[in-house]
Amino acid sequence: MYRYDEFDAALVRERVEEFRDQVARRASGALTEDQFKPLRLMNGVYLQLHAYMLRVAVPYGTMDSRQMRRLAHIARTYDKGYGHFTTRTNIQYNWPALTDLPAILEDLASVEMHAIQTSGNCIRNVTTDVFAGAADDEIEDPRPWCEILRQWSTIHPEFSFLPRKFKVAVIGGPNDRAAIRTHDVGLEIVGRDGNDTLFRVFVGGGQGRLPHIGKEIATDVRGTELLAYLTAILRAYNLLGRRDNIHKARIKILVESLGIEAFRAEVDRQFETLRDEDLRLPQAEVERIRAYFAPPAFETLDGSSGAFDRAVLADPDFARWNRNNVRRHRQPGYASAVISLKGLGEVPGDITDTQMEVVADLAERYSFDEVRAAYEQNLVLPHVKLDDLPSVWRALLAAGLATPNADLATDVIACPGLDYCSLANARSIPVAQALSKRLADLDYQERVGPVRINMSGCINACGHHHVGHIGVLGVDRKGEEYYQITVGGSPDEQAALGQIVGRSLPSEAVAPAIQRALDRYLEIREDGERFIDTVRRVGHEPFGEAIYEGLDAAV
Amino acid sequence: MRLFEHGEIGPQTRRLTASTPLDQVEAAASDGAPIMIEFEAFRDGRGFSLATILRERGFSGSLIATGDLLPDQARHLMRSGFDAVQLRPGDDPAAWRRMLEAFSVVYQPAFDAAVPAWTSRGKSLRRPSNAPPIDEGTTLGRRAAELNAALRDADPLTVLRTVLDPRQGLRVAALSSFGAEAAVLLDLLARAGPSTPVIFLETGQHFLQTLSYRTTLSKRLGLTDVRIVVPDAEERADLDPREDLWRTDPDACCDLRKVRPLARAAAGFDALITGRKRYQSGTRARLRVIEALDGKLRINPLANWSADRIATYRAERDLPGHPLADQGYASIGCWPCTRPIEDGEDSRAGRWSGVDKVECGIHLGRRRAAA
Ligand code: HEM
Ligand code: SF4
Ligand code: SF4
Repeated sequence: MYRYDEFDAALVRERVEEFRDQVARRASGALTEDQFKPLRLMNGVYLQLHAYMLRVAVPYGTMDSRQMRRLAHIARTYDKGYGHFTTRTNIQYNWPALTDLPAILEDLASVEMHAIQTSGNCIRNVTTDVFAGAADDEIEDPRPWCEILRQWSTIHPEFSFLPRKFKVAVIGGPNDRAAIRTHDVGLEIVGRDGNDTLFRVFVGGGQGRLPHIGKEIATDVRGTELLAYLTAILRAYNLLGRRDNIHKARIKILVESLGIEAFRAEVDRQFETLRDEDLRLPQAEVERIRAYFAPPAFETLDGSSGAFDRAVLADPDFARWNRNNVRRHRQPGYASAVISLKGLGEVPGDITDTQMEVVADLAERYSFDEVRAAYEQNLVLPHVKLDDLPSVWRALLAAGLATPNADLATDVIACPGLDYCSLANARSIPVAQALSKRLADLDYQERVGPVRINMSGCINACGHHHVGHIGVLGVDRKGEEYYQITVGGSPDEQAALGQIVGRSLPSEAVAPAIQRALDRYLEIREDGERFIDTVRRVGHEPFGEAIYEGLDAAV
Repeated sequence: MRLFEHGEIGPQTRRLTASTPLDQVEAAASDGAPIMIEFEAFRDGRGFSLATILRERGFSGSLIATGDLLPDQARHLMRSGFDAVQLRPGDDPAAWRRMLEAFSVVYQPAFDAAVPAWTSRGKSLRRPSNAPPIDEGTTLGRRAAELNAALRDADPLTVLRTVLDPRQGLRVAALSSFGAEAAVLLDLLARAGPSTPVIFLETGQHFLQTLSYRTTLSKRLGLTDVRIVVPDAEERADLDPREDLWRTDPDACCDLRKVRPLARAAAGFDALITGRKRYQSGTRARLRVIEALDGKLRINPLANWSADRIATYRAERDLPGHPLADQGYASIGCWPCTRPIEDGEDSRAGRWSGVDKVECGIHLGRRRAAA
């Protein structure tokens, strides 16, 4: 894990002081609310329906136990005892008092965390594969590059007042578990040339209103030139992106309107005149940062574990959790464990302070002091010995954190929606909860297998509904909360946007409709097909029919 | 960067808005006359790119910013290549100056002279020339021997800085009992890396004075990651239900309350820093600065320091002492197993006095502890 040195620590401290100054100027009237707003947003402070909200960055989703304990402490001391993990691997606190914010930011700084650039029209928290450094299909751990990008983008003099927010995701191999094609820039490590890493670059992806799948702009950008290349992209965007219409300001609209060829030519033109010798990272710095992410001191194991095998045989509940929530690890004898934050009927992504303490303890004791936040709003213990999995599971079970549903139908992504958010059309949380209760039967969920169901309370798509295999979008129909359903979206390397299947439904009709779609899949699937495979084979129509069975589908 | 209110603009200054297309801005700047860029809205950051590009392409004339700008953008302007800002009536120059100086660190190169952190690091983190090369192929023992050869005569701060340098690739934690002599090691550690994890074994049998000393000392030194490690509750209920194992079998008690918890707490680390010194007792007289033990490095930065040197350092740095030290306790552990020492005894004679025990097990290898 990255550790702050004197430079990082100083910067974060100074940022807290700067924010204090800004709050004081807002209080004295020297700053108007209009002027203060972008400044507070760049420190993660939102105004929601009922209170301020603070969004804390978990850079590239990686935390240690000390940081997790501090997040628990903040939830307990300044909030109502819980926090909400988001699809951007941030954690949100919904109830802090404005006057507590500087103290919270100081608390965060003491464990090398911050809320810098978690909002605002700047380069946001960089996200990555939750299994980085543990997955067996990875060419290179992407996290050193995420850290390099975190530093480079922090308080960037040229790119802090962009037309709109800018999100970057990085993956370390061909299998996309970070939805890079839905980001403004997606980076995929494709290989090495000597010491240098090679990146494939996507640009112009984005969700929200007018969603787009990113387009390939370059196939082999060198690591040493990565910052220069990104500078060229951002410069072209900063100068040419639209500023007259907030809904058309993202880079996706610029890329779409120019066409990818013309945009690439523009980027190349900027790249050529860049003084890139300044932006070349010294190799020693790359190595210094890589050293922080070196694999932990794994034991040499033969890959089998008596304790694990006995537990699987002895306890069907453990066996089920293992089937659904445990992922293969590159190191023999180890595995990664998904901690589902989607308990039956609970709020997706919410976690209490005591649960955070439990996760911190488990990370410290069993996972080389590491825990990750996944964009699916779950947590992951990346490096657990098979021998230890039964103990980990028992502790999770006792804390209400052992729901065996990772990637299954009740592992729903949902935004805060109308329960908190001032932009919402409709609530998403109760709909997610109703679905979770309806599909609670785990045997049924396992029969259906992996399926990604995503919900957003409005078109901003914080809940990734466009790329859910099944997406649910809250809409406002004459003051009533309604829900539009899409089928066939996908966030992975075959990224696609879901198709709207018909007119929107009232909230109580959503869960039954989704269940009918899943039942239809069980009827028509062929051997070995996952839900999304069947949709890709037959199209969305059969599912639309099932969804509107007994209902009027006319839009 | 110069701040001025109005006037002072020469007639040859060309005034452009920040929404002017790049090629027109470049044309206007082609003869080197001063350029003034007007920001129509502070949210519109095009001017930062225009200035950066002009400077990168060699424009050396005066570049002035004006319009709807916030003091909070002062550094962005300066770093993008503006050399002056024309404030508007009512703007507060004091706020502008404060914001210009708000940060001492920058993370990226820009037009101004500020050196990005990655360059400064290259300088400040240069490895001591006598440090061994990093070679992941070496076994732990060889690694220890090499480090020891390089550091055996080094001062404690150099030892700490070297092992904490990320290029060594080590995950390092410190071990402290927050006892009578803890302050010196912890102060050095706070200077070398205040966020280094410090493991405190909470045996449940500490003096209350130790617990409060732990709190005040960590705070005073700015240690940000003191980890309190407790025995496993089940094991404790099993092996020591009446909490008096120390009476009958101190080895088993230490094993339960120190050795096993430490093994768990240290699992994620490659190296542990301890405060042991050669002068402390006979068993420690051959202590080396770097050793290999149970698959980890043990770093003993104070191995070479004499009791006098320790005392001088403590006085120089004005470090608070353990509340019990004044009462004659020279080495402080759990209350049942610690008594004050008499003059002339070695400093650990007060520990487990009356039984044939000198170390609690955490500093012995696994096999020796079991034997
Ligand atoms: C509660 C306060 C929130 C507000 C006011 C808010 C606002 C917005 C807005 C306005 C957009 C659309 C941006 C655009 O299309 O240009 C957006 C997109 C997004 N937000 Fe939020 N959001 C909030 C909470 C969240 C939460 C809780 C999450 C994670 C669960 C989240 C993750 C995202 C993501 C992933 C997108 C889509 C990114 C994209 O457009 O490419 N936001 N949000
Ligand atoms: S999708 Fe809409 S309702 Fe949900 S959090 Fe985002 S802005 Fe709010
Ligand atoms: S020092 Fe004494 S009380 Fe403390 S753990 Fe060892 S035997 Fe038990």
